[in-house]
Amino acid sequence: MPETTAAAKIRPLDELDLNGIVRIDEKITGRYQPDLWEQRVMFYVRRDPGASQVAEVDGRVVGFMLGDCRAGEFGLETPSGWIERFGIDPDFRGKDLGRQMFEAMCRHFKAEGATSVRTLVDRNDASLAGFLKAIGFGESPLTALERAI
Amino acid sequence: MIKVENRDLPKRYHDAVEHWQRHNFKDYDLLLKYWDKYFPKDESFCLCAKMELGTTDVIQIGEFKGEKKREKPEEMTPEQAKHLLAIIKAQASTEFGSIQQHAGTVDRARDDEDKFWTMRVMAEELRHGYQMLHLLLSEDWSSVSGGVTGEQMVEEILSMTTGSHVLDAFNLDYDSYTDNVVFAACIDRVGKYQLTMQKVCAYKPMADSMPPMLREEAFHLAAGVIPMRRWAQKAAQGDVFVTMPMMQHALNKWVPRGLEMFGDERGGDTNVKFGFKDLKNEEASSLYHEEVKKMVHDINTRFLRARFPDMTPDRCEQVLGDLERSRGTYHGVRWDDLLRVPDKRFFRRKGVHAFQMVGIDGETFESADEYLRYLAKNLNEGYVASRDMRLYAEALEKVAAGELKVEDAVKAMPKLKRVGGTCPCSKGVRWVMEDCDGGETTVAVR
Repeated sequence: MPETTAAAKIRPLDELDLNGIVRIDEKITGRYQPDLWEQRVMFYVRRDPGASQVAEVDGRVVGFMLGDCRAGEFGLETPSGWIERFGIDPDFRGKDLGRQMFEAMCRHFKAEGATSVRTLVDRNDASLAGFLKAIGFGESPLTALERAI
Repeated sequence: MIKVENRDLPKRYHDAVEHWQRHNFKDYDLLLKYWDKYFPKDESFCLCAKMELGTTDVIQIGEFKGEKKREKPEEMTPEQAKHLLAIIKAQASTEFGSIQQHAGTVDRARDDEDKFWTMRVMAEELRHGYQMLHLLLSEDWSSVSGGVTGEQMVEEILSMTTGSHVLDAFNLDYDSYTDNVVFAACIDRVGKYQLTMQKVCAYKPMADSMPPMLREEAFHLAAGVIPMRRWAQKAAQGDVFVTMPMMQHALNKWVPRGLEMFGDERGGDTNVKFGFKDLKNEEASSLYHEEVKKMVHDINTRFLRARFPDMTPDRCEQVLGDLERSRGTYHGVRWDDLLRVPDKRFFRRKGVHAFQMVGIDGETFESADEYLRYLAKNLNEGYVASRDMRLYAEALEKVAAGELKVEDAVKAMPKLKRVGGTCPCSKGVRWVMEDCDGGETTVAVR
């Protein structure tokens, strides 16, 4: 269980959240990658504005969760929500922000007609897998496959 | 569940919009041809009105709060309907107006991605204009339009060219592609505020028009802010063709016009009273001004991090704060090498601060000559040499000399008005100045 619920505002992503996201990513990965996040934020803002969410505490972005609602891929004709990237400032972990952003995204996906939400996870990343399990993700009949080329 | 219904205008009006597009947005077909290349898997573009379904039926604000939303003009009081009609026409004018502005310089984009982003913005503005025409044509407004028919209103809107639009920001030509980008970042941001405020509109078809437009507006803002961020990076790295003063001059041109788009700071009560918007002018323009400050702060961060790659995020915040307080220098970067948001009173020609002589940083000027020299240094050359600036300067000099009252100076700023037919080929417009008694004087034919 989270230690406490931060007084966070969960709201849809916009273009002025870029610095906050770049900063969180830098704290997590140690790399400053503004170009990468400019591309990604533009992609999600364009594709499905309102889907991706950020968590704000005292006017500062401390978490983000990016994704969109789409259909027609991998034989999935009904719309599905996809959670593709997320990050929480290490100083604000354990405060239930991930769950709150996830729930906001799910509300948006439901409003768009989705009945399921999907993501991919590295099985070796125990902390990420644990978080996804905690918010209700389970095994899917779809399996991610890959081969080297 | 979000459901949107797409609606077409009657064929002859749809054709009229497409005809307008052929004159004013010549690369439209190019955009559609390469849509999948630049916007893979995005929903394809639809020139149609989009109405959000399932929105509330209840008026949320104003003196009719709690009553059922109006669905026809005759369900409103004549005063209300007339007021709303003016809002719809102004909104339509801005949508078509921005396409005409973008079209002048879109080909000067530095790369194809920037150009296609701008063209998508133009296409979506076309759709937004179409949406407003749908509002004008789907009901009969003749009882409050002074007998002007829907057809005549459409003709009037499609006849407007840069100079004749309802709001001043849409009457300024772009001087370079910098204007395409900074306009999207600053003026489309005003659009976001207006659309957001109008989500509560007591006229349901107007309220239902807003959410789909707002979803598209999110891209427009990003199409302004992200190129500005990239330019700041290039400027910091020494690109001689992309500079911070270039962006600052564009901010100086557009932010004052953006503030004026909210209307006079003393007004807006009627919009709230009638339930058309949920914020008064001063409240909304102040929020806007703060948001532009946030945008500029982020762009300055991008600049400093590019100039000093080893700088940590916390150190960057500290340096930015120090530079702002001291107005000094940090390792060769001067405070005024960074972008600043012009003071709310800077270069205003409408509203409570009209014709005050206040600089970007709030400094005041005693003489019109001194102020005009200051403006000439802080706006780009192409704009300074324009008719718009000449007329502003003439009015300012008269105000400063006590020969013209501010309210008369506000009215004296010229507008282009249509005198010909619908087709822009006719060039049937002229520059007119409104006299103090409401009459008009032709000052030039375009």
